[in-house]
Amino acid sequence: MKLVLRRAALLATIALGGAVCARAQGLPSEPVALVGGRLTIGGDVSASIGPDDTGFFNYTDYEHSALKLFRADLSASFTLNRHFAVLAEIRDENIDELHAYALYMRIRPWADHAVDIQAGRVPPTFGAFGRRLYASDNLLIGYPLAYQYLTSLRPDALPWNADELLRMRARGWLSSYSIGDPTPAEGVPLVAAFRWDTGIQLHAASGVVDGTIAVTTGTVSNPRLTDDNSGPQVAGRLSARPVTGLVLGASAARGPFVSSTAARGAVGDGHDRSFTQTALGADIEYSRDYYLVRAETIWSEWRLPGVGAPVINTPLRALSTYVEGRYKIRPGLYVAARADHLGFSDVVGSAGPQSWDAPVTRIEVGAGYSLLRNLVLKMSVQRNTRDGGRVTSATLTSAQIVYWF
Amino acid sequence: MRKYFLVFVPFVLLFVPFVMKGARSGMIRGRVDLRRVPLPVEPRPNVAGLGAATATLDISDRLASVVYLESAPRGAFETVETTHAVMDQRGERFVPHVLAITTGTIVDFPNSDHIYHNVFSLSRTRTFDLGRYAAGRSKPVRFDRPGIVRVFCDIHSHMNAFVLVFSHPFFSLTGADGRYHIDNIPPGTYNLIAWNEGVTSEPRSVTVTDGSVDEEDFTLR
Repeated sequence: MKLVLRRAALLATIALGGAVCARAQGLPSEPVALVGGRLTIGGDVSASIGPDDTGFFNYTDYEHSALKLFRADLSASFTLNRHFAVLAEIRDENIDELHAYALYMRIRPWADHAVDIQAGRVPPTFGAFGRRLYASDNLLIGYPLAYQYLTSLRPDALPWNADELLRMRARGWLSSYSIGDPTPAEGVPLVAAFRWDTGIQLHAASGVVDGTIAVTTGTVSNPRLTDDNSGPQVAGRLSARPVTGLVLGASAARGPFVSSTAARGAVGDGHDRSFTQTALGADIEYSRDYYLVRAETIWSEWRLPGVGAPVINTPLRALSTYVEGRYKIRPGLYVAARADHLGFSDVVGSAGPQSWDAPVTRIEVGAGYSLLRNLVLKMSVQRNTRDGGRVTSATLTSAQIVYWF
Repeated sequence: MRKYFLVFVPFVLLFVPFVMKGARSGMIRGRVDLRRVPLPVEPRPNVAGLGAATATLDISDRLASVVYLESAPRGAFETVETTHAVMDQRGERFVPHVLAITTGTIVDFPNSDHIYHNVFSLSRTRTFDLGRYAAGRSKPVRFDRPGIVRVFCDIHSHMNAFVLVFSHPFFSLTGADGRYHIDNIPPGTYNLIAWNEGVTSEPRSVTVTDGSVDEEDFTLR
């Protein structure tokens, strides 16, 4: 019943898109400023509609597909003085319960220097896309595979041997293993864009170079509110703007990935920090006149305990690369495309070597039209192919309406 | 309907008992009193940012109002000169925030920041998108139709400005003290309107005679 209600709400939102457009003149077009401008509230609301994704190519967890999603973000910034601000964001997906997506304090020790300390549930340090995943920032409707596609790995459950791991190829939307939590649940993407980590972050910027370092409780693929393995992750990012319009970025992160409970179930106590995720990333963005091009590549490896034979010859590695671009055809109208691939290293099972998860390739092309400055209608078609699983390919057409203030 | 108030309405001319040639002129002056605090547009809460935004906010340019004649005598439209105006992009702001021009004016949009800007407008009066361009470059836009054009930056959502395009020269931008004056108005009866940040006064009927100086104050709430 709840699901029916959610779908009805989603369909009603899409169907009322025209009415929304007509009435949007009365909606805020700019952030709402209160308390003399100290409190600023912004929002980003999107509704996407698409066909059933039976291959779970676009699922961000077992229930939510990026192509059939109503999402409402409300973000707020309260500036206490020149040195302190509190920032928060709450999010609802498909008219479900609200989640605190971000809540942290931003401290600027020297008002005239671009050095900031952020503590709490903070934005991702690693990578480029994780900080522009709002629908209004996304050129298309789907997300890059590295940030969205669910691999079969889980931090709270571990495969007994390589055969058990290989049985879960292309089953990241609902994988289950015999060690740790036996309940089937979704796996993790290379970098989780839909949850933020908790910890402390130091950022410094000059005119050309930005640097950030963070210590957080989770890992890039499994951000957490509270720690589950007594080991913090250290992440860093360096970006440079050598010329106007060009941004070069490099990121790195390393931290314990497997939960204490799962590690204990596999190899006993004392190995909380042994089974890590290490990720490296590089990104580039160039824009000029009417076009924008971005590319990002992310490499990740996970070290898992070897338990039974055939033993998993860790580390398990994955590499994802995407290139996306946008071109404005005329005021308010653009076309965009993204080519994306996610590949995995081999493990040796009883039947021989095989990639530990099924490689995926996605091509997505689309267009966006601004009905108003802050009301955008998008359409896209994506072609997904996968070397494994029950569904090995899918062509999905979707539409999305985005409103922000 | 208020959004069309700047559009020339031909039948109004029938009620302007005026022959431009050889006529003298009068002046309307006064003050616009703003009873509301025009807050600048705050940047969107930069929750996903790794650090604080660097934009500086300034409300002084929000105090500028425009006072104009809703209609004008026929002679006012006989010559359309191509002139240039400038709306700079500086410190993540459009400077000036309000520009009042006549039709046919070319507005140059230089970028004086060391970052990209992307000026655009989806206003029906004038739709354009200048794309991204760096410091030191400028791109022009010609405004041929009267109306209000809201100008934005596609990269910095808090950057916005107004270009008010008139089909006649009888308008005035208020100074820092809120005062305005419209000179050389041919004798006749006109509707006078004050505007600030999208808020307009009720039209006020004003009769201008030879050599007259009318004092008209407005209060905008």
